[in-house]
Amino acid sequence: MAGNNTKTLSQAEAHLRRQRIIQVTLRYFVLIVVGVIMLYPLVWMVGATFKQNSEIFTSMNPIPVHPTMSGYHDAMQNYGGAINIWKAMANTYSYVIPEVIFTLISSILTAYGFGRFKFKGHDLLFSAMMAMLFLPQVVLNVPQYIMYNKFGWIGSKLYLPLVVPTLFATETYFIFMLIQFLRNVPKDLEEAASIDGCNVMQTLVQIIVPMLMPAIVSCALFKFMWSSNDFMGPLLYVNTPAKYPATIFVKLSMDSDAGFNWNKILALSLISILPSIIVFFAAQNQFVEGISAGGVKG
Amino acid sequence: MKKSKFLKNNIGFLFILPWLIGFLVFKAYPFASSLFYSFTDYHLFKGMSEFTLQNYIEVFSKPLERKALIVTFKYAFMTVPLKLVAALFIAYILNFKIKGVNFFRTAYYIPSILGGSVAIAVLWRALFKDDGLINGLLAIFGIETVHFLSDPNWALFIICLLRVWQFGSAMVIFLAALKGVSVDLYEAASIDGAGKWRQFFSITVPLITPVIFYNLITQLVQAFQEFNGPFIITAGGPRNATTLMSLLVYNNAFKNYKMGKASAQAWVLFVILMLFTALSFWSQNHWVYYADDDGR
Amino acid sequence: MKKKALAILMTSAMAATILAGCGSSSPAPAASEPAAAPAAEEKAEEAPAEEAAEEAEAPAEEAAEAPAAEASGDYEECTIKFDWWGGDSRHEATNKAVEAFMAKYPGINVEVNFGAWTDWETARALEYQSGTGSDLTQIGSNWIPDYDGDGTTFIDLNTVSDVLDLSQFNASDLEKCLDPTGQQAGVPISMTGRIFYWNKTTFDKAGVEIPKTIDDLIAAGKTFQEVLGDEYFPLSLGEYDRALFMSFYIQAKSGEPIIAEDGTLNVTEEQLADGFAFIQSLEDNHVIPTIAALAGDGNVTLNENPKFIDGRYAGVFEWDSAPLKYTSNLAEGQELVVGDELDFGNGKTGVSAKVSMAFAICASSQHPHEAAMLMNYLLNDPEGIAIMASERGVPASKIGFDTLNDAGMIDPLIAAAHNGVYAANPMFFSPKFDNGELKGDGAAYIDTFSGLSYGDYSVEEAASILYDAYTNVCE
Repeated sequence: MAGNNTKTLSQAEAHLRRQRIIQVTLRYFVLIVVGVIMLYPLVWMVGATFKQNSEIFTSMNPIPVHPTMSGYHDAMQNYGGAINIWKAMANTYSYVIPEVIFTLISSILTAYGFGRFKFKGHDLLFSAMMAMLFLPQVVLNVPQYIMYNKFGWIGSKLYLPLVVPTLFATETYFIFMLIQFLRNVPKDLEEAASIDGCNVMQTLVQIIVPMLMPAIVSCALFKFMWSSNDFMGPLLYVNTPAKYPATIFVKLSMDSDAGFNWNKILALSLISILPSIIVFFAAQNQFVEGISAGGVKG
Repeated sequence: MKKSKFLKNNIGFLFILPWLIGFLVFKAYPFASSLFYSFTDYHLFKGMSEFTLQNYIEVFSKPLERKALIVTFKYAFMTVPLKLVAALFIAYILNFKIKGVNFFRTAYYIPSILGGSVAIAVLWRALFKDDGLINGLLAIFGIETVHFLSDPNWALFIICLLRVWQFGSAMVIFLAALKGVSVDLYEAASIDGAGKWRQFFSITVPLITPVIFYNLITQLVQAFQEFNGPFIITAGGPRNATTLMSLLVYNNAFKNYKMGKASAQAWVLFVILMLFTALSFWSQNHWVYYADDDGR
Repeated sequence: MKKKALAILMTSAMAATILAGCGSSSPAPAASEPAAAPAAEEKAEEAPAEEAAEEAEAPAEEAAEAPAAEASGDYEECTIKFDWWGGDSRHEATNKAVEAFMAKYPGINVEVNFGAWTDWETARALEYQSGTGSDLTQIGSNWIPDYDGDGTTFIDLNTVSDVLDLSQFNASDLEKCLDPTGQQAGVPISMTGRIFYWNKTTFDKAGVEIPKTIDDLIAAGKTFQEVLGDEYFPLSLGEYDRALFMSFYIQAKSGEPIIAEDGTLNVTEEQLADGFAFIQSLEDNHVIPTIAALAGDGNVTLNENPKFIDGRYAGVFEWDSAPLKYTSNLAEGQELVVGDELDFGNGKTGVSAKVSMAFAICASSQHPHEAAMLMNYLLNDPEGIAIMASERGVPASKIGFDTLNDAGMIDPLIAAAHNGVYAANPMFFSPKFDNGELKGDGAAYIDTFSGLSYGDYSVEEAASILYDAYTNVCE
């Protein structure tokens, strides 16, 4: 039995290695197949920006047969000097970035309050917060519009109706998400910190926030994407073209009565989502590797 | 000791104070108004003349509304499981050491970035039309043309696929959760000789149940409020097969200005989601594991 | 106990917000000031500092052209707001016209707001509702009954007729922009009716003459199928197109508009059933593709349908103002020509024409006089007319039409189509026909015509549903 040991071991090793190779190949196979499905639309979209309308609607081939640059040329149009795609994108980020920062701060505070403390009415208020998720936004738009109009915020050059609510943790999605992640963090560390003399705020900043970093970065990314994609909000609350964000600018020429060139629209959409793609690409390591603390738990 | 407990109570309240103010200033009024409207015949331009339960009765009695309710349930029960499984599965694979992982993660998130872009509307219809790419592929396998866009039985399915395809945000949340699962646990498990799949189900899944729970609830909410897919791709057709509740709500509130009717429909959705969520919270005790649970 | 206390706290806080919302008009800027200032009143005493500041922005480059201003009478230095929806070329032309207007009338500063059609109407409707609408606003023909039912949203334009030349418009066209209280709520920018455009290339290929009568068209269906194959149709109609075409059919038979000028319904359920049977016969005779086939083509508008682009769908039933979106998308070698209105027998065409869009002045405007000057500049001033060209269709204003016609500035296809519609002596087209409850997604037209085409409804069922919907809208 002892004599067979080495042989069996190396056989087992070879078997394991083979199994590993199969596993890895399988993994890449799945990743690549799914990747193609995920990326095809973007590739098609890039191709379509170089096509004429008739080709866009008659061919699914991402490579244009009669390439034209007119989409990009037209995309650079400015309307009466008031607005162009670059200004529109600057407008978008001039409210999206404050929105992200305010949402993060207010949501972290609220999540910490709900997730780590007990107080009178905790459960009722928590339910009220969750309930905010359940009503479709579209029926709230009209009363909200009336309310913001009374505040004098319609047409605000500072995008007040979009930005101010984010100061007050109005995005339940993020509060709830942070609470769920927080609840997966054992309390030992905070108790230790509290014995070391940290107050609750210090504990939050020095212990909780680093532990929650992956979730916080995800929240930031989502808020960034969602706010950048918002169409209805700016449409209702912004009424000067010079202040239009990219979502509205992209659609400015889409007039079904007169017809329009899709290559321009697609080129504009492509340009306007590039920052989102870049931000995601750059930020992803933050939620994956930037957290040594995350490994402590479990 | 007593004093510090008292302080702690107040501090918790202080932390949620910004939210409470926001709730009272920005949310309470629109919520209360829409609830009030739902019991009236309020029309934005014709005003309000009577209190009525008619709006609620119609949700369950008129064929269009009843169909929308059924379709919404169908849609949610198709989309949510598919999307969660896809997101968790891909997140799980991406959590291994993979070359070019940054590229893959971004690629998988791109559909979510594209979101409701006009490009998607054009592309999705072009993919699924009778002589589109998908039917072209099916033809290779000898499958007859499937009328995705014109057959009421198929149309909902492609709306559902659009959402499943955008599993990126759920995937990101799963990834963030998976990264929190300690490597030590895996190492201990592989010494024990547990296979990858057993590891996954007996170690990984239990540890990320709070996040699965989060994704379940939020995906459920999003599915019941789905609007974009039918709005940009089918406009609710064919034969109302993709008229989800939120599309009805939108048409009534924003196109016909029947605020009373729209509000009632929205509040029916509200109650449905409320029940599902309450049920999920109640079921938590049986399957969700919280590390901070100190036996409360 | 605890819960009760909280409930009380929440309700009282809620009530406080609501009250605060109602009482706090003070922080609101000028926009929410009482909107009902009498429209005719010429304001002399108002000269707020902000307007003086904004006046400095008025373009100085073209000041050389300014002398013309004196001739046009008095006006006040002020800032007015002007909004419209449209596509690129309309935005461009209108922006140019606005600049030229500001150069011609130094001291009037025009702030513009423009966008695409999607949800534009809703955003404007909310503004009208809350008294923050623009001074000058571009409206659809059904906006007057929809948003100005009580005559308080838009001013009576007769009160500004000193600067707005209403004599340039046909009385019958102006009548179509009266609000229910009889005030002149809008001025029609252009009138439009539906007409047929045919793909001559395909008709030639089939060896079929361009149809002049409904019988020609029905005969063409069979020939197309035999000569060119199942995929070829002489015409393609979506649900709304069918509703309109059916109204032509019924109107040709009855000789009167299906919705009368006073807004009452002028059609019976039996007539509708006859109309539905007619539409069904078009499908049965291979004249038009089914609704399911059109959905299967990708659920796109006809000008984006590959089968239209390459000539398999060879006929379009469209507004006289809108052929260019079709010609610009056609594949190379295909030619689109405008046809006559179809004769349903005895020379009856059943055509009706409507106000395509109009200008109105919001009652909340502080400067209706200046807004009317801008309106007049865009509609009746040769300088403005030339810049705007036919961006909003063929002008309804006589001087507008003459100016463009003489200069040859109307696209020949549009001009031919417009002439074709008016040669048929169109009847009244009620804005109620376009009411959201008939025309909207999932509303009556889509429901009945797709239901009939899918075989879910019989002709009688469809007629009954549509009749109820019409009655609802017209009551």
